[in-house]
Amino acid sequence: MPNSVGKRFKPTKYIPVSTAATFLVGSTTLFFVFTCPWLTNTISPAVPLYNGVVFLFVLANFSMATFMDPGVFPKADEDEDKDDDFRAPLYKNVEIKGIQVRMKWCATCHFYRPPRCSHCSVCDNCVEDFDHHCPWVNNCIGRRNYRYFFLFLLSLSIHMVGVFSFGLLFVLHHMEQLGTLHTTVTLVVMCIAGLFFIPVMGLTGFHMVLVARGRTTNEQVTGKFRGGVNPFTRGCCGNIKYVLCAPLAPRYNGVDPRKKPPVSIQPPFIRPDLSDRQISIKVSNNGIHTSILQSKSKISLDGLAVDDKGLDTQPPLPPKAERYNQLKSQLTSSQDSSLSGKTHPSTPAMYKYRPSFGTIPKVHYHAAGEKIVMPDDHRKASAILEEGRCHVDYRSEPNLDLPDYRNAPLHRSFQSSPLQLDSYPINSSSLNLKQAHQRRDKGQLPVLQPETVTSTPYKSVFSPLSNRNSSLSYDSLLNPSISPATAAECMAHPGMPSMGSHSPYLPTKMCHVRGPEPQIQKQQVPPSFSPVGMGMSRGRQSPQDRDLSPVRYDNLSKTIMASIQERKEMEEREKLQHHGGCSQAQSYAQAQDSGMFDSSGGYGLPPSACYPDSPRDPSSRGPTPPAYRGSRDNLMGVVSYGPRTPVLRSSGGSSLARAPRTSSSSLHTDSSMQGGRVPETPCRSPPHQPHHSPAKPQSPSYTHKKLSFIHALERTDSPRLGGPREAMMQSKVNGQTDCHLGPNSSSAQGTTLSPSRHSNVKKVTGVGGTTYEISV
Amino acid sequence: MSTEFHNLQELRHSVSVATKVFIQRDYSQGTTCRFQTKFPSELDSRIERTLLEDTVKTLNSYYAEAEKMGGQSYMEGCLACATAYLIFLCMETRYEKMLKKISGYIQEQNEKIYAPRGLLLTDPIERGMRVIEVSVFEDRGSSGSSHSSSVSSGGISQR
Repeated sequence: MPNSVGKRFKPTKYIPVSTAATFLVGSTTLFFVFTCPWLTNTISPAVPLYNGVVFLFVLANFSMATFMDPGVFPKADEDEDKDDDFRAPLYKNVEIKGIQVRMKWCATCHFYRPPRCSHCSVCDNCVEDFDHHCPWVNNCIGRRNYRYFFLFLLSLSIHMVGVFSFGLLFVLHHMEQLGTLHTTVTLVVMCIAGLFFIPVMGLTGFHMVLVARGRTTNEQVTGKFRGGVNPFTRGCCGNIKYVLCAPLAPRYNGVDPRKKPPVSIQPPFIRPDLSDRQISIKVSNNGIHTSILQSKSKISLDGLAVDDKGLDTQPPLPPKAERYNQLKSQLTSSQDSSLSGKTHPSTPAMYKYRPSFGTIPKVHYHAAGEKIVMPDDHRKASAILEEGRCHVDYRSEPNLDLPDYRNAPLHRSFQSSPLQLDSYPINSSSLNLKQAHQRRDKGQLPVLQPETVTSTPYKSVFSPLSNRNSSLSYDSLLNPSISPATAAECMAHPGMPSMGSHSPYLPTKMCHVRGPEPQIQKQQVPPSFSPVGMGMSRGRQSPQDRDLSPVRYDNLSKTIMASIQERKEMEEREKLQHHGGCSQAQSYAQAQDSGMFDSSGGYGLPPSACYPDSPRDPSSRGPTPPAYRGSRDNLMGVVSYGPRTPVLRSSGGSSLARAPRTSSSSLHTDSSMQGGRVPETPCRSPPHQPHHSPAKPQSPSYTHKKLSFIHALERTDSPRLGGPREAMMQSKVNGQTDCHLGPNSSSAQGTTLSPSRHSNVKKVTGVGGTTYEISV
Repeated sequence: MSTEFHNLQELRHSVSVATKVFIQRDYSQGTTCRFQTKFPSELDSRIERTLLEDTVKTLNSYYAEAEKMGGQSYMEGCLACATAYLIFLCMETRYEKMLKKISGYIQEQNEKIYAPRGLLLTDPIERGMRVIEVSVFEDRGSSGSSHSSSVSSGGISQR
């Protein structure tokens, strides 16, 4: 075989065409030789002439159908499929005259097959307007040669009818000479014609129907338009006209490079004026991050802007969580779209259907450009994330002002209303009220971004801790690659990645904030008290956080206020760190662990033993420190008694328990104000984690967030705080946790959890009326 | 393939294809040849919108005229049928004439408008009429001057 391995000479594929050609030519020749002379003499010379013309027509169309390029698409260059291979879905939807048509990715040819195009496995090519592969002509029938094939069928049918009829005429006139050569041959020819008559006529009739309907064989056989409308039809007459009279389509393959004179391209290049194009970028920016924003792809910003606008239309402090839910769903969908690429790296050929494309029925192939942008988006987002992270991770000073955060991309999305300041101190990604005020002046930040916003304060609050905390470093490590995704996922906003990246805590926080609902909590991350811990947990969980529980604004606001309070507490704690009481953290952690299980919804863990009667006995700081509200998304480990008993327990226990788990060792350290505990907490976290994992789905991880010190405080203060706080807390079903930091120095706490852990409990009243207890 | 028609090596300043932007087909009106007039955002910084949109619209009109089923295409079909398609050996169909015209138009547009901006349009016929490929060139001397998507830069290097 002279051919390469890839293209073997297969004689078998030439058998049908050879047979057909042989029969056609042979029979007709015999007819002309043996039958036509008598016919010419008997009837008229027009008979052979007519038959000759028809036969010529048949041959011409047969040759065209056999040798003409059916409309093969040349395989795409590598550059063209670069975007598509690894990030694109298997199908793209395109709308043709109002009807959705699916374009499938061709793995062989590396492009999305145009409508009506199909890949022929015999020829190993994608063919335009693919009809079928005809073995009798050994060629695909496509756009360019369908007319010839159809005419071949028509003319062959006519030819066969003619040959058969004239042969019959001859035989009828030579009945008595059936043994003679001429008659015999004519009979044979008649038999052949008769034999192929049925299939050929059947096929001709079939294609006549197809032509009238404007369908291809492929479409008819696969039943594409069985119940629906054919978008390619032009009406019966239009279809017939199209088949017969359309101009011959050009060849794509074998197009000679068309030696054109080369075009010289020399720099310098003319650039258009870009001034007006960047205005939109700057608008949502408070001006600090102009450079960052400009580096981002426009689409991401536009996406942000869109969401922002959506948020702006809502009242600054939506009283209901529904709005937030709407926003979140909004975000989630867009987030899914934007993140689909990240989550599905397989090629379209692997039949991964990406939700992003699937859910968007419009002409997706438009987004060749968009697809290019998306990687940009991610890349730039990650770049920005890195920047943001730098701001966050490496800040060591517990500076409340957090001027760097202003630069956070969060800015873009934070157009929180002034009213939200309390609830979302983060607006500007910092707990700094001053900054928040500044931001207010900038205008309304999108309500949407409360998540991001909330996360910011955490970042700012705990930034000082982060340096001390190994967990923080983990967070920062967490995501050079993941943070964008994490953040994005948490944020549920395509434009958010930058923001999320800004602080490793942000995603955590966002998730945290979002998941106040008990059942949704995927974020089980133990909401360790430290934002770091939260960030970490969030970071880990964010991929899971697809369905975020709706966050109530009232809860959120409290959360944010709590975060603000936390910052203050942090400062206080730092002062108090020098106090002793190592055991406190541990005991609290234990208690909280158990509590967490309870809160998680009845995993019924041991803690119940520890907190036997918390629910019933508000005064007893037993199992459920009053400060522990079961609220899931409590940032501060709200403590509440009463109805939330199981929650309470968890909250109480969880705060400490989670804290270690989330490796919020720093938190523990801080909370407990005892340096000695630091080494212990990290040890604690791992063992706790497995425990809490079951709890996670149920209890919002927010329970984790209880600061360890809060537990201590809460326990002490439970009797005092329980009442009013209970009322507050009960109103928050989602378990918004308020941090109650109270300067409660002694009493209650040790009783149930660990008497030895008594520490000074300091109560700090937050802005929103939440009180935080800091165990000193 | 990029070297077929770009004398890059002869230039004083070295340019390289940074990326390629693809203008896809517009199938909203069926399978007739139309390209999207939506301006790709990657070219925002390289060329004015109106210029590219004008080019694409002109191309669309050329293609529409080439595919028009009018008297001339009908006559061509009958003539071809009558001559057993031997006429195709001698004569150029209307479509082929339009394609030559389109090719000349693209060449002219490249010389006048796109090359000075560091862009190059590729005739869609070379891509099976599926896309209009716009090659974005970057001046190696000033790297990063035009910051477009670097998605296909790796692909380009493979060529």
